[in-house]
Amino acid sequence: MQKQPITPKDIINNYGATFAFIVAIIFFSFTSMGFFSGQNLQNILVQSTSLGICAFGLTFVLITGEIDLSYGGVIGLVGAVLAGMIKEGHSIGLATLVCLAIGLGTGLLNAILVVVLNLPSFLATVAVMFMCMGAERIYNQGITTWIRDPEVLSIVQAYIGPVPVAVLYLFALFAICWFLQTQTRAGQYVRALGENISAVKEVGVREKLLKSMVFVAAGLIFAFAGYVETLRIGGAVMYAGKQILLFVLAACFLGTATFKAGKANFPGTLIGAFFLYTLLSGFTGLGMKFYLVPVAQGLILIISVAISSVRRGKIEQVQF
Amino acid sequence: MNHPMDDQDNIVIKAEHISKSFPGVRALKELDFEVERGEVHALCGENGAGKSTLMKIIVREYIEEEGNIFIEGQNVKDLGIRGVQKLGLSLIHQDLNLIPMLTVAQNICLGREPVTRFRTIDWKAMRLKAAEFLAEVTSEIDVEERVEDLSISEQQLVAIARSLVTSPGILILDEPTARLDHKTSDQFFAFLERAKQKGLTVVYISHRLEEIYRICDRVTVLRDGRKIITARIDDLPQAELVKHMLGREITQQVPKETVPIGETRLSVRDLFPKEKGENIHFDLKSGEILGIVGSIGAGKTEVARALFGADPKQRGAIHIAGKEVKIDTPQDAIRHGLALIPEERRTQGLVGNESVRKNITLASLKKKFCVGPSWIKQDQEIQAVKESIRSLGIATPSTEQEVQFLSGGTQQKVVVGKWLMSDSSIYIFDEPTKGIDVGGKYDIYKLIVDLARQGAGVIFISNELTEVLSLCDRVIVMFHGQIIKELETEATNREEVLFYVMGGRDYAETANNSKGHH
Repeated sequence: MQKQPITPKDIINNYGATFAFIVAIIFFSFTSMGFFSGQNLQNILVQSTSLGICAFGLTFVLITGEIDLSYGGVIGLVGAVLAGMIKEGHSIGLATLVCLAIGLGTGLLNAILVVVLNLPSFLATVAVMFMCMGAERIYNQGITTWIRDPEVLSIVQAYIGPVPVAVLYLFALFAICWFLQTQTRAGQYVRALGENISAVKEVGVREKLLKSMVFVAAGLIFAFAGYVETLRIGGAVMYAGKQILLFVLAACFLGTATFKAGKANFPGTLIGAFFLYTLLSGFTGLGMKFYLVPVAQGLILIISVAISSVRRGKIEQVQF
Repeated sequence: MNHPMDDQDNIVIKAEHISKSFPGVRALKELDFEVERGEVHALCGENGAGKSTLMKIIVREYIEEEGNIFIEGQNVKDLGIRGVQKLGLSLIHQDLNLIPMLTVAQNICLGREPVTRFRTIDWKAMRLKAAEFLAEVTSEIDVEERVEDLSISEQQLVAIARSLVTSPGILILDEPTARLDHKTSDQFFAFLERAKQKGLTVVYISHRLEEIYRICDRVTVLRDGRKIITARIDDLPQAELVKHMLGREITQQVPKETVPIGETRLSVRDLFPKEKGENIHFDLKSGEILGIVGSIGAGKTEVARALFGADPKQRGAIHIAGKEVKIDTPQDAIRHGLALIPEERRTQGLVGNESVRKNITLASLKKKFCVGPSWIKQDQEIQAVKESIRSLGIATPSTEQEVQFLSGGTQQKVVVGKWLMSDSSIYIFDEPTKGIDVGGKYDIYKLIVDLARQGAGVIFISNELTEVLSLCDRVIVMFHGQIIKELETEATNREEVLFYVMGGRDYAETANNSKGHH
C-alpha cells in the first residue's frame, strides 16, 4: 500500500489538541503577564501533578473500554486519613501504607463490582465514589486537617536541585504507565481489550483477571494522587476529589485528541493535564475575571477537540 | 492394512452426540462429526444450521451441554481455549477479531509476543515472526501497516496468517472467501494448496459450491443443528448437496423473469464520489435491474453511498424521473424515493437491539404512522408490520423480536421491509447475498424481481457473477473507481464480465487473438 504524504491538515486532524496546546503557550507567552517565566511554568507543572497522576489511573481504565470515577471519593478519603493519622501522631510510614491499602481496597471493590458482578462501570464506580465521600466525612467530621510536620511535607514539597519532586513523581509515573502499556504484553492486551474483547479471548488471554488488575492498579494510582495532593497543599480539605473530578475526565478526553486515533493514551493525558492548567494560568495572567476563566477554558477545550473530530468521524466508519 | 487402531489414529476431530442450546433455540442436537487427518473437510448448511456453533464448541469458546469431543484422541472436556490450541487447533472466525488500531505484526503476534530478557516486547523479533507467518499467505502486505488502513481482503489474509502462529495441525476456516476479492482469493487458494501438501487438516465452512468442489475432499451437511450426511465430495453431486442443505429441492437458483422495462427513473451524470470513483455515468429505468460488478476496492460501495448521500461527493448531477434533484444527505435520498440496503447490514442497515417492528417502520414512521409531531399510531403500525412480515416471509416469532437474534437472510428481509414501507422506488442493494445461505439467497432474488415487477428500478451490487448475470438486465463493470464497461446480460457471459472486472481492455479483440493462436 502506498504511503500518503503528510499534509498540514493531517497534522491538525491527528494532533489537534497538541497543536492547540502549543498555540496557547505561544499566545500566552506574548500576552499574559509573567506567563513565560521559569517560576510560572514550574507552578503549572506542580499544580498539574495530582491531577495528572490521577488521570493516568483513569487512562488505564479508559483504555480497557471501561470508566472509573471512584477517584472522586478516593482522593478525599486518602487525604483525610493521611492528615488525620499524622495529626494523631502515627508515623508517616504507617500512614502511607494505610493510604495505599485504601487504594487497593477500593480498586478491588471496583473490580469485583464490574468484572465479577458485571455491573456497568460508570454506575459501580460512582457508587464507590459516594461511599468514599461518606467515609471521609465520617472520619474527619467535615473539618479541614492541616499537616505541619515539615519532614512529612517534604516528601512532596522538596526539591532535587531546581526540580520539585512532585513533578518528578508525575513524570516517573508517566514513564512507568507508558512503558507498561506500550512495551509489555499485558499492556498490549489492555489496549486490545478495549478494542475488541473477543480477539483477546480468542488468543486465550484471561481477560477478566486482566481487567481486574487494571481496576486495582487504578485504585492504587488514585490513592497516590490523593497522597500527593494532600502533601502538596499541606492538608486535607473537604471533598478534595470532587474538586478535580471533572478536570481529570477532561484531561483524559482531551488526551484522546492529542495524538492519532482518538483513543485514550498516556502522552495525551499528560498533555491534557498541562493544557488545563496552562489555560488557567494564562487566562488569569491576562487579568481575566476569575468567574470568566472557566468559560474561556471551556471554549478552548471545545475548539481543540473539534479540530480533531474530523479524523475521528472517519475512524468510526472502520467496521468489521 | 486397515487395523482399527490405525483408524483411530486417523481421526483428528471426533465429536459425539453434541447438544447445545441458547436461550430459546436448540442450536445443536446429538450431533456427530468426524474429520480425518490431512483432508479438507467442507462443512455446509444454511445460516443457523449450527456450523459456527459446532466449530466454537470444538475450539472451546462455547461449552456443549451433552456429548464429548476428542482432538487427536484426547477428550477436551477440561481444556480451555489455550489447551486445544496446544493440541494443534486453530479457528479463523467469520468476524476477523483483529484489532484495528494495532499493526499487522501486533495482531499476528497477539497473545504470543516475543519478549526480551527484561520481559518487554521484542519489537524486532515480533516483526520478523509476523513477516514469516504472513509470507506463508501473501507477500503484498507490510507488517508495519495498521490493520485499520488495510482493505477487508487484506485483513482476512492477516487473520489467516495470525492463525498460523500456533503452528496448527488443524485449521478451521469460517467462510474465509466471503471477504476476499479475486486477487487475494488466488493467494488464499495457493496457500491452502501448500498447506494441504504439508499435511495440514482443514475444516472449511463455505457457502460457495464452486470452492467446495474445487478444494474439498469430504463434506458434512448440517441442517437445523443435526448432521444430515457426511460424504466424499466426488460421490455427492452439487444438486444433491444443495438438496441436503435445504431439505427441499430447488429447481432453479435464480428466478429468471422478464419484466417490462419502462421510463428512465434515475440518471447519474459526472458523479465524483469523494471517497473513491470518477466520472460515474449511468441510467436506470423502472422495472430494470442494473448490476454493478467489480472486485473489492473498485468503488462500487462508494458510488452507492455517494448516490444515497451517505458519503459526500465532489460533484455530479442526479436526475430522478427527469428532474434534477439535490441529494446531500440520506434524508434527501429517502425523500426522493431512494433506498440503500447496505453491505454491512448489522452495523449500517439495522438497529440490532431493537424489534422487527421498530426496524421496519424506522424510515416511514413520520410519513405514515404519526399524528402531530411524534405521536405514533401503534395499532396501524403493528398492522402494517404484520402485513410486511407476511408478504416478505420474515421468519420471526413476533413483531417484537430483536433483530440481532435473527439469521442473516432474515435480517436482510427486515431491511428491505423498512424501505418498502417508506414507498421507495429506487433500490440499491449492496452485496445483499453476502454470507447468506442458498435458501435465503433465493428469497432475496425473488424479492428483487418482485420489486422490479412493481416498477421499481434496482441497482444490484455484487461480486458473484453468476447471480448478477442471471438476475440483471444490464451490468456495469467498475475498475479502480471508474466504469470501464457496460454490458447487456443477454449478450455477454461470465468470462467476458470477469475479463473486465480484472481490468481487461477489449474482450472481443483478446478473444479473437487467442483464437488466432490456436
